[in-house]
Amino acid sequence: MKSTVHRHLLAALSQCFAIAALTTLAAAAHAQSAGVAPEAKQILKASTDFLASQQRFTADTRNTLEIVLKTGQKIEFNSTGRQSIQRPNKLRAERTGDLVDQVFIYDGKSLTLSNPQEKIYAQVAAPGTLEDMLDFARTKLDIVAPAGDLVYKNAYEILMDGVTEGIVVGKAVIEGVLCDHLAFRAPQLDWQIWIQQGAQPLPRKLVITTLDLPNAPQFAITVTKWNLQPTFDAKTFTFTPQAGAKQIDFLPR
Amino acid sequence: MTSIPRAKAFVLTIALPLLYLAGVSPDAPASLTLVSEARAVVGAPLTPVSAAGVARRTTRRVVVAESSATQASAATTATAQQQAATAQQQSATAQQQSATAQQQSATAQQQAAATRPAGAPAVGAVVATLPAGCKPETRSGVEYQNCGGVLYRAAFQGNNLVYVVQ
Repeated sequence: MKSTVHRHLLAALSQCFAIAALTTLAAAAHAQSAGVAPEAKQILKASTDFLASQQRFTADTRNTLEIVLKTGQKIEFNSTGRQSIQRPNKLRAERTGDLVDQVFIYDGKSLTLSNPQEKIYAQVAAPGTLEDMLDFARTKLDIVAPAGDLVYKNAYEILMDGVTEGIVVGKAVIEGVLCDHLAFRAPQLDWQIWIQQGAQPLPRKLVITTLDLPNAPQFAITVTKWNLQPTFDAKTFTFTPQAGAKQIDFLPR
Repeated sequence: MTSIPRAKAFVLTIALPLLYLAGVSPDAPASLTLVSEARAVVGAPLTPVSAAGVARRTTRRVVVAESSATQASAATTATAQQQAATAQQQSATAQQQSATAQQQSATAQQQAAATRPAGAPAVGAVVATLPAGCKPETRSGVEYQNCGGVLYRAAFQGNNLVYVVQ
């Protein structure tokens, strides 16, 4: 008898949970069909505005990139990086992958891509602002700064361009930091962003799902450390070739 | 550059923008024949160049043909020649290099022509790794890699270090 009661209780409880979960899903579905939830816009805008207002910062990141083989099999590659930025026209990005160490330096006049291990570098004159330089690197040289959207001063417009749906998924913890978790849909990609709660609404994680490829591969970047008061020196944004380094060309796109 | 052992040669027929990022290992399995990678940016800058979210979301596709070290020259040749048309079309880019580069490579080609081995990879083909046994060689102040009589010139294609067949 007692055990029967327990069973009934358990059944009732699990029903409650199921209903709660369904209600959440229904709410999410409703929010989706309603386009972009105002709260999602608001949280994202607060974050992009905050980052745009930071004149100098560094971000240590961990990236994963999935590729899809002809067979459909997905393979994930990992790298870590540090991005140092000083608005309006200085950037240094260092990346350490499985095989290659690479340094990208923009000093406001030229950009340099260097593989120190192989002692080679290429250098080319570049536009005078961070935003124009990123455009130039991407359209002329085919160099994509992963998650580079976030660096632009008008990051919000760039991210939201073409977005059809957006919701606040809920709360989440990324690298030990309490965040708001947002999810957006655009014609050929879905993306999710986790934004730190509190006075400094920094992006903590970004996941991009490419929908128009088989098996929808993902790119993810997690910021393991933000520093909004970094110390830069003369060398940070200046490229000096190491002894014996050879200069090579960029192939035009 | 020559000190880096290259176990395998990958012949690229299409721009391979983020091979570095992807970090496809020279020891990667032979099944790495056609590779597509996830996008790493959400949007493009709202410049006149980008047709509002259409052009920017063009998927990057990557073709990688694999060959083992022992068959490096033969296989590279075969694949490179099959794909030469594509490679040359798409790296009309590669051929539209700066005037100096073209002059230099023209010189190099002339010089190489005499000794160019039969079945050498197509001129203008872009490879991610060199065949085994290359030696640096400077001509007209430009450094090339001489791999069994075929000259390769290092360049960055996007983030990737590649070699252009001269």
